[in-house]
Amino acid sequence: MFAAMTPELLQAAAASNQWGAIFPELALGCLALLLLVLEILLPKSAHARIPVVAILGQLVLLAVLLWNFAPTGLERDTFNGLLHHSRDGQFMRAFFLVSSILVCLLGTVALAKQKLPRVEFYHLVLVVTAAMMLLAQSNHFVLLFVALETVTVGFYILVSYFRASPLSLEAGLKYLIMGALSSALLLFGIVLLYGVAGNPALPGHTAEAMNFNALNAFLAANPDNFLAKAGIVLVLAGVAFKIGAFPFQIWIPDVYQGAPTPVTAFLAVASKAAGFAVLLVLTLRAFAPYATLTVPILSVLAAATILFGNIAALTQHNVKRLIGLSGVSHAGFLLIGVVAAVSTPLALGAVYFYLAAYLLATFAVFGVMTHVAGANDAEQELDHYAGLARDNPFLAAVLAVGLGSLAGIPPLAGFMGKLFVFIAAFKAGLYPLLTVAIVGVVISIYYYFGWIKAAFFEAWRAPLQEGEIDDRPARTPVAWPAGVTLGLLALCTVLLGFYQGSFGEWLLTR
Amino acid sequence: MTANLMFYVFTALTALGALGVVFNRNTVNAAMCFLLSLVGLAGLFVLLEAYLLAVLLVFVYAGAVVTLFLFIVMLLDVKGGRRSPFTKGTGLAATVAAALIALGLLSLYNHGRIAAALPAGPGSGSSLKGYAYQLFTTYLLPVQIVGFLLLMAMLGVIVISKRQAGTEDGK
Repeated sequence: MFAAMTPELLQAAAASNQWGAIFPELALGCLALLLLVLEILLPKSAHARIPVVAILGQLVLLAVLLWNFAPTGLERDTFNGLLHHSRDGQFMRAFFLVSSILVCLLGTVALAKQKLPRVEFYHLVLVVTAAMMLLAQSNHFVLLFVALETVTVGFYILVSYFRASPLSLEAGLKYLIMGALSSALLLFGIVLLYGVAGNPALPGHTAEAMNFNALNAFLAANPDNFLAKAGIVLVLAGVAFKIGAFPFQIWIPDVYQGAPTPVTAFLAVASKAAGFAVLLVLTLRAFAPYATLTVPILSVLAAATILFGNIAALTQHNVKRLIGLSGVSHAGFLLIGVVAAVSTPLALGAVYFYLAAYLLATFAVFGVMTHVAGANDAEQELDHYAGLARDNPFLAAVLAVGLGSLAGIPPLAGFMGKLFVFIAAFKAGLYPLLTVAIVGVVISIYYYFGWIKAAFFEAWRAPLQEGEIDDRPARTPVAWPAGVTLGLLALCTVLLGFYQGSFGEWLLTR
Repeated sequence: MTANLMFYVFTALTALGALGVVFNRNTVNAAMCFLLSLVGLAGLFVLLEAYLLAVLLVFVYAGAVVTLFLFIVMLLDVKGGRRSPFTKGTGLAATVAAALIALGLLSLYNHGRIAAALPAGPGSGSSLKGYAYQLFTTYLLPVQIVGFLLLMAMLGVIVISKRQAGTEDGK
């Protein structure tokens, strides 16, 4: 059955694996390995330079990626159909790289407060980022699952990285169990789809049932297959865990609170965006013939997610739990975009624009959180922000811009993101969802402004009794790299709100 | 007919073994039940003519992983703890979940029937050579990613379990 390993066969195998097409992922993987090698080779005194290598290496890679943003051979499959390269994939690559750079930068600030191994943190972040890039471009369930597991296993470690903190370990355990459950659901769905699409008794059956193109063709030939429906629902449930959509959001508050702050930012932005990239690929390509099934499911998820996230965030005093639950509501807004994208191509660009605005605003807020947090990373209360505007006007201004953008206050980027998604939803005729979304926006203003109020207006505090010490942690002074980055994030948030320019044009015209 | 009977025997072994893992309070017994469950699973693979998978499952999981579990259980001398009784809310949620699962299984049973008996497809996973061929040609990229995954898992074990100088447990 199998030919001997002739040179021709080897050449054919080599030709189908186009390594050049995944240059950014390869470079990230090599950079991650280089960090470990540097730790072995360099003397202990030079170890502080390794994070600089990680960040600079990624900046160079980002420059290369942006310089060659539309390489030859886009819109094609590589690696025997395992990957599909598209301009959306290029956008997600740049997105993940930017978030990885920012996470590394926040990591330098947060890790300085802990006595923990440093280099491994950056290694994990880089490998997880490379895996996310592959995940967003996957065209085959085998690659999707392997990349997803790489991301998830990396996050298990990153979430429990502050191992001296019981909350961090607890968060790691919770994430492990919930992550395993969601992987099991996803895998069960994949197996059902594989089994039904490979069934020779059905029309259009295929031997390559894991491939999205082949699966799409099979589903188009069998428009009403019960097992395929069950498989699709299970796969969507597995992805909904990753994006934190209701009713799969149960892990979010505890894990977000316990995880180290940079990791929480990574979870909130990159992990969520990876989930949405997968969801878009699945609903728009692989499961496209079953839109009558996916659209109602995702619509109900979107409405429930928006309401749950916003209402649950109202009562939170811990800022990490608050931002986690507000992230749940953002997943709901993005889900509206995904639902609209099934019928309106404009919505796809709106989702990507929303993600970009969400990245800028969330990292601005997390940058401030990292500087306000003390050595106890899990306890970050709203009243720790008291007097921030007086003591450190720069951090307070960045916080206000970030939170304002998340709340969707014009003229910030978050407002434009919401506006684009709502316009797309309006064009797609999703009026009930729009109503829910607007109610959600109104509720969200309450808790975002509560946070801003804590930073800008003095609240009355009981005077300290004799012998009582102020339990609020000391703020970290802002070093210039973090300061420049936070300033840039806030500036981009403001500029992108006023003027979308060629970026918006590139995203929204297709 | 024999194959059908064998299927049910192995399925029962797998499912009962898995239940035993969850319900056993004694950790050693739970590990042993896990072993039983894996043997049942290996039997199912044999019925599907995936002999290599069956052998690997017995070697790697039953042979190595469960043995490792047992070593660790005995080294740490883990005692089965006392469970706090379920609260009313948990009981209610569990009942609702069980009812939903039963409903799902019932509808799967009613609608998910496959009409005709299927001819066995050509299995690429039955021989070692078939596997190796697939892994080194079509699925080369996932294999490389798994390499990174394993490295990362190893690093994670070191980071989370190694005692660091300066932390409270590192003295």
